Amino acid sequence: MNTTHHRRRTTGAALAGALVLLLAATGCSSKADDGDGGGDKSAGAADGVRTGPGIGAESIRLGALTDLTGPYATLGKSIVQAQQMWADEVNADGGICERRIEIVVKDHGYDVQKAVTAYADLAPDVVAMPQVIGSPVVAALLDDIERDKMLTFPQAWAASLLGKEAIQVLGTTYDIDMIAAVDFLTRTKGLKKGDTIGHVYFEGDYGSNALEGSTWAAEQAGLKVAGQKIQATDTDLSAQVSALSKEGVKAVLISAGPAQTASLVGVAASRGLRVPVVSSAPGYAPQLMETPAAPALAAMLHVVSAAPAVSSELPGVQSMVASYKKKFPDSPVDSGVLSGYNAAQLMGADLKAACEAGGLSREDVLKAHRAQKNADTGLGTAQNFSDVDRPASVETYVLKPDAKAVGRVVNAEDAHTAPGVEEYLSGR
Amino acid sequence: MCLAVVLCLPPFYLDAFWLRIGLFSMAAAIGAVGLALLTGTAGQLSLGHAFFLATGAYGYTWLAGEPGPGLPPALAALLAVLLAGAAGGLFSPVAARVRGIYLGIATLALVFLGHHVLLTADSVTGGFNGRSVPPLTLGGFTFGAGDPELTVLGVPFGAEERLWFLGLALFAFTWFTARGLLRGRPGRALAALRDSETAAAVMGVDVARHRSAAFVVSSMYAGLAGVLLALSFRRVVPDYFSLVLSVDYLAMIVIGGLGSVAGATAGAVFVTALPLLMTRYADQLPLVAAPGSADGSVGPTEAARYLYGAAIVLVLLYAPDGLHGLARRARDRIRRRRPRPPATDPALSPPQPAATARPKEHTP
Repeated sequence: MNTTHHRRRTTGAALAGALVLLLAATGCSSKADDGDGGGDKSAGAADGVRTGPGIGAESIRLGALTDLTGPYATLGKSIVQAQQMWADEVNADGGICERRIEIVVKDHGYDVQKAVTAYADLAPDVVAMPQVIGSPVVAALLDDIERDKMLTFPQAWAASLLGKEAIQVLGTTYDIDMIAAVDFLTRTKGLKKGDTIGHVYFEGDYGSNALEGSTWAAEQAGLKVAGQKIQATDTDLSAQVSALSKEGVKAVLISAGPAQTASLVGVAASRGLRVPVVSSAPGYAPQLMETPAAPALAAMLHVVSAAPAVSSELPGVQSMVASYKKKFPDSPVDSGVLSGYNAAQLMGADLKAACEAGGLSREDVLKAHRAQKNADTGLGTAQNFSDVDRPASVETYVLKPDAKAVGRVVNAEDAHTAPGVEEYLSGR
Repeated sequence: MCLAVVLCLPPFYLDAFWLRIGLFSMAAAIGAVGLALLTGTAGQLSLGHAFFLATGAYGYTWLAGEPGPGLPPALAALLAVLLAGAAGGLFSPVAARVRGIYLGIATLALVFLGHHVLLTADSVTGGFNGRSVPPLTLGGFTFGAGDPELTVLGVPFGAEERLWFLGLALFAFTWFTARGLLRGRPGRALAALRDSETAAAVMGVDVARHRSAAFVVSSMYAGLAGVLLALSFRRVVPDYFSLVLSVDYLAMIVIGGLGSVAGATAGAVFVTALPLLMTRYADQLPLVAAPGSADGSVGPTEAARYLYGAAIVLVLLYAPDGLHGLARRARDRIRRRRPRPPATDPALSPPQPAATARPKEHTP
């Protein structure tokens, strides 16, 4: 009996103690202070510029949710380095709005749960995100990003990401690319009415969006599409090649990863299915030209992309590649470097415009971004961000693998709008 | 009692990052308790837990959302749990026929099937990009940001703070119901089944009925965990509910200690919170470079993975009976050192999920 009494008393004392602690300590909880002084956040800084999350008196903080340890590690590293290089260049020039640029990098390793917690950690301290890798990650964060009005450039190009005020797909979407690919095939490879083209595509929004484009374009051109859906884990495409050659395809489109492209082209070449292959931009990586499939790739493959080849003669691209090689001599120069640097420059332009308009809060940055009708960084085609529902650009390049060039790829055709794109967009 | 008060404190101090980790841990704990019941106590290996979690999460989202019937969210949550239970019930004939590793493989099929359906049934699941989760409302009170604005003791209560208390309530419900089940007749019957079906049958346990009941109840806990997960994610995407998630849940109950509620809880917190926290704080360690800096150096995520792997190995080496066993042995040792008469009834002594509370107590 004695013990029971004693226990009850201890619990009671502990409870009372904890309550006192709770009441006393919320007084000095930093969260409570935040709530009272909420006005502090929207108030202007000393120089009269409206500020918000991520904007200090001397710094502008940008966020990057990237993948440095998962399946897109190579891409993630290129983008992080390219954007860091941009930040260093801007800071050497005196920064933006007399503030230094800081990029806070969070690695989620392609894990949705990690990404969502990293976002919760990151969001209160950054004004915008020039990089988010991983379609599932972007999907999981859609609502949070919209609610926080956080201008975000995802490294994903599905049309389903259009129509969101705070999310900006840079360049073309996958479907536009594939319309251009079908146009390229009919124009230069002699495909005619009644022919069949194969389309190997990933399950998910990347593949389904690409298939939408190819199906539409094929219908316009009187072609048939033989679709082959694959998973990201399928890296041997022998079965798909057999199925496609049974269908008698005259050309193949592929919207998958680099490993799948290499397998498709390699197996097709060895089986005698020597037809032109056109890949979506994410389906090619410079490392492919070091595999045994390299000769077949050089002979059969083309890539459609909103960005030019890193070996292109555009002065902006050349100077960017030169300084990247100087800064990161051991890193390969791939399309991620170009797209990452381009995204960072566009973000910088938005920040500058917002600063000139007198504010760097998230709303100001978003407003400045949506006012850009002809954003040209000299790294490819100009982009129009004013229509939320339309891709920022509809012009595509056609690239060709080349083992000798920088980034293992060269321009085959300059940027142009494929015929029918406007019709497709208005009908969507 | 004291522990309950401590668990109520975090929303007053910690920011959204910590609260989200806590929410994910609570959801994982509820799911892990369900799996502990099925695999730990009843001895039925299940790799399909992710499927039942998805059923709960998507069930709630669809039932309460638009497009969908648009039911009141509280009712939708209840129905989602029942839906997950029904899914478990539908699968239980399979569970009644195959045993052990074969059952594991059979449940594996559920994960792939579920993932495929989530990706393709666009009108219900939203396809690859998933769906927004409508916030839960209970009698005019929303477990989301705003409506009504709420400030407690000077702290503004947003979505995470409110969900924290919902999570606590659901977890407490799970804790007491599962302990009741395990310590009562059904728990004993299930344990008897695990050890020897023949012996259990001889003692009067209805084998088929208990095996399928274990599946249904476990799926319902998974469904409840799914609802809470969906609420804390605020958007459900199919890629989360993959085989990796199932394996994570198995890891939780093994690390925590098979067959106990406290163990499953400790394991859930270990597996959920540790990698997230390590990733967050690994850059404080020596020799760890900033993410994406130089070549060949170890970034925070890699460092966190090494540490997490090492932690698992350590736990399995030094606590083969799981965290629960470790805690019990530590408690025994302390008792032996303090020569006090033991409490009147050990079964009534308060549970000690010390590991549950500890990671949340630190203030950043």
